[in-house]
Amino acid sequence: MPQQTMNASPQAKLQLEGVSKTFRVRRGNDIEAIKDVNFSTPENEVCVLLGPSGCGKSTVLRMVAGLEVPTSGVLMLDGHPIAGPDRERGMVFQAYTSFDWLTVQANVEYGMRLNGVPKKERRDRATHFIELVGLAGFAGAYPKQLSGGMKQRVAIARTLANDPAILLMDEPFGALDAQTRWHMQEQMMRIVEAANTTVLMVTHDIEEAIFLGDRIEFMSRHPGTVHEEIIPEFKKGHRILQKEDLIGLEGYGDLERHILQLMREQGGDDSGH
Amino acid sequence: MTSGSANNAYRRRWLEFLAPLSKTWTVVLGIAIWVLFFGLWETAVAAGWVNRLLVPSPVDVLRTLYELFAQRGFLSDVGISTARILGSFLVACAIAIPLGILMGSFKAIEALFNPFVSAWRYLPAPAFIPILLMWFGTGEEPKLALLFLGVIFFLITLIMDHTAQVRTELIETAMTLGGTRWQILWTVVVPAVLPSIVVAMRQMLAIAWTYLVIAEIIASTTGIGAMMMRARRFLHTDDIMAGILTIGVLGLLFDVMFRWLYRLLFPYLDQGGR
Repeated sequence: MPQQTMNASPQAKLQLEGVSKTFRVRRGNDIEAIKDVNFSTPENEVCVLLGPSGCGKSTVLRMVAGLEVPTSGVLMLDGHPIAGPDRERGMVFQAYTSFDWLTVQANVEYGMRLNGVPKKERRDRATHFIELVGLAGFAGAYPKQLSGGMKQRVAIARTLANDPAILLMDEPFGALDAQTRWHMQEQMMRIVEAANTTVLMVTHDIEEAIFLGDRIEFMSRHPGTVHEEIIPEFKKGHRILQKEDLIGLEGYGDLERHILQLMREQGGDDSGH
Repeated sequence: MTSGSANNAYRRRWLEFLAPLSKTWTVVLGIAIWVLFFGLWETAVAAGWVNRLLVPSPVDVLRTLYELFAQRGFLSDVGISTARILGSFLVACAIAIPLGILMGSFKAIEALFNPFVSAWRYLPAPAFIPILLMWFGTGEEPKLALLFLGVIFFLITLIMDHTAQVRTELIETAMTLGGTRWQILWTVVVPAVLPSIVVAMRQMLAIAWTYLVIAEIIASTTGIGAMMMRARRFLHTDDIMAGILTIGVLGLLFDVMFRWLYRLLFPYLDQGGR
């Protein structure tokens, strides 16, 4: 339901305005990690924060999660200012976060247990999301018995089952090997389609950004800010479920080339700084 | 095992870097060192290399151990010692576990208690024996107090450190799932740190035995240590050695019990305590 909360973008799900973050290293030696970040994400879109390492994309994501406090600026979800961590902004981390002492089923039920969802509903929702991420046979398994890709799918199912308003992901496939990552990206696409959810995701993988992103906020370093907003128009507004279909599309090569150039310009090497 | 195959060009030597050892050999070697030890001891006594009065033979020690239990009521001494250990250790755990978890979880609680706890850790517990004797006399209290003092500050520090090492991402995940501080403490921090706490308890229980013997030797008429000090007066070296053996076996039993407990409580970790 579009709600008139902001003049600039009427149907924004998530909106950041003038967000800055300064870290104090020593007295009189402040580092401006994030400077004046502005962007907004419409409902049910996948928004990707892309940029060279050190551009502060994870810090922006953590501020949206409420795990970091901005020095200035406003972050809003559904028109309400973000004031701290909350179930409506569930986060999936790069590091594995399955609770070793709980089975897959109990892991996925965990968020709902915290929020007092009745037992029956909890079990049904967990079962649904375990199936959605393709772990149907593993509900009774413990995380130690699962591969890295499976652990990440548990984390995604756990967050989605908790019914967040937006799903936050911090390089969720970064720790996986190339083949698993590729498989997970395709699966992620199907999950996003099925769960019909808004996603804000951080990555430094250009191909992953183009494949998954409905829009890409490209960030530069020193200070970290949104350098360019990229909408992969060539996908013509519909989502591609297989990576090879993406690479065949006209316009893909140009966009990848463009982003690679941005990476080179904005990333450079660290010796210059 | 050497194979007759000519293709087997790999040399198999004793003491190879990084080479694993089969379970059978591990057990055999572990037993061998004890056989060697008791064999040398028995030989030394039988051949008259040592004074039989000061060093009884291992067979004599075992016979004495049997007599102690069967005829001389040693079981009650063992029972008293064990009760002292368990009593004071349980009280120490009841304080150290919640306090250590809170100190490891919240910086303000650490800042309040840590300077105090750290200072006490550097005071050797036996230094308090004279004052404990003056305060409590020679009853059970000074022994329990010594065991308590000897264990608690290390236990608090160990548990605090383990709690602080609970992975940030686990806590942050629970925060973004909507957990309150209290919920996160109980459903993430406590289960995550529990295996390490059991390991810390196992380590500190071994230290508790040390203090027990000190307490019983210095000021007690009951318990394993007291029996050993009585035996010293009558030159009963076999009694003393039987006492040492008993303490060793009891310590080992508690250790085995903790390993078993670890496997029972944390089956999802798929490996036993080290």
